[in-house]
Amino acid sequence: MTAAEEGPAGNGDSDLVIAGQLRQLLVQVTGRDELLEIGLETPLLRGGAGLDSLAGTLLLRQVERRYGVDVAAEDLNLDALQTLGTLAAFIAARTT
Amino acid sequence: MTASLVKCVVWDIDNTLLDGVWLESAGQLPPADPQLVSVLRDLAGRGILHALASRNPPDAAAYVRELTGADFAAVECGWDSKAEAVGRIAAGLDLSTDAIAFVDDDMLERAEVSATLPDVLVLTPEEAAEAPGWPQFSPAAVTDEARRRGELYAARRRRDAEAKAFGGSRDEFLRQAGTRITIAPAGPADLPRLHELSVRTHQLNSAGQPVSQAELAGLFDSPEHAVATVRLADNFGDDGLVGAAVLTGSAVTSPPVSPGGPVPPASPRPPAGSPPLARPEPLVLTVPLVMMSCRALGRGALDALLAWLCRSAAARGAAELQVPCLVTERNVPMRLALAAAGLRAEPGRITSDGRAVFARELAGSLPALADWLIVRDEP
Repeated sequence: MTAAEEGPAGNGDSDLVIAGQLRQLLVQVTGRDELLEIGLETPLLRGGAGLDSLAGTLLLRQVERRYGVDVAAEDLNLDALQTLGTLAAFIAARTT
Repeated sequence: MTASLVKCVVWDIDNTLLDGVWLESAGQLPPADPQLVSVLRDLAGRGILHALASRNPPDAAAYVRELTGADFAAVECGWDSKAEAVGRIAAGLDLSTDAIAFVDDDMLERAEVSATLPDVLVLTPEEAAEAPGWPQFSPAAVTDEARRRGELYAARRRRDAEAKAFGGSRDEFLRQAGTRITIAPAGPADLPRLHELSVRTHQLNSAGQPVSQAELAGLFDSPEHAVATVRLADNFGDDGLVGAAVLTGSAVTSPPVSPGGPVPPASPRPPAGSPPLARPEPLVLTVPLVMMSCRALGRGALDALLAWLCRSAAARGAAELQVPCLVTERNVPMRLALAAAGLRAEPGRITSDGRAVFARELAGSLPALADWLIVRDEP
């Protein structure tokens, strides 16, 4: 906790915590354990984590349940799903 | 394959056992779905238990009990996921999950239960209406037709189970499963199914309103429209016609340009009666309707259709592909597919019927066509 207490309360730490939780949710909705290893820069749709529209929708439902953030209602183009990092930051900005 | 017998059916309430939504019914409560009430009685007569899983308050369960006269061995009302509710019901009744069937009108609820509890038999209300004829609900005396339907369902479960055990990426599974997605021009024989899709699809529908058979037939005859159908099959079974797109816009009315061929320098032929243009407007391919059955979800069919639309638009010389899409709570999967295909909506760019215009330019790299996509007679 000391590092967080010393510096200004940047969102960086909570982003990382949320990204870790999101990896777990990704494994839950896809059944693919290797998604625990993806980096913050990994795109979520298609090429990167390879979410299709079903898996993506299930992920957004879990996000709404867990964090109370309705990404689909706030983000017309779903840009928050560009990468794991952008989704974590989107949630962090609304919960911290 | 021997289907395991169902010992308990877990029912959703809104738009499933009830013909309507309990909470929205100010004053007048919705009636029960008569077909499902007779299924409840029929199955209870065979010794099969019933249970309720709903996001409604317990009052709704009491209302359903009174309305249907059915006994419910377990009731779960609350905001947990349906998968958790079904799991608790199975545990409470001391049943393994392969003895449970779950019926819900909401595709996402069904998907979640399937993903979390793969042994549960997950059914739409329409399937539940005919399920009493399936072997899973009746140890003896099953008609051939019912057996075939039951087997189609079993094929779907085998696919889902293998996909879950597969471990690799979705594309690798689609290849291994022998997925075949066929895009072809629509014909008159497709009319009833296309109309049905326009009525039944919600999560994967860009227009959000039914299209009558007469309107569809009018599109077939119109030189300004093309209708592309999508069929889906794999080694597990043949799902037939699962989706479609309607194409229009200046790129359809002007002569197509062959991909990779020379682009004619002449301006596109203007529609009859319009003044000759000094400088041609860039061509646009507009797609007023994209729809896909939820059966095709997770199997690459919508991605394949959108990739083909991008490439077809480019091949017709269009500078832009536009998909006006009604933004609703239910069609988030459609928006995800549009985003994955590189289409974006400018906030405020709204059509007169209230749709956001998702669009992309067609210069640069386009979504790749999956190698299991077959295109017949370029619609």
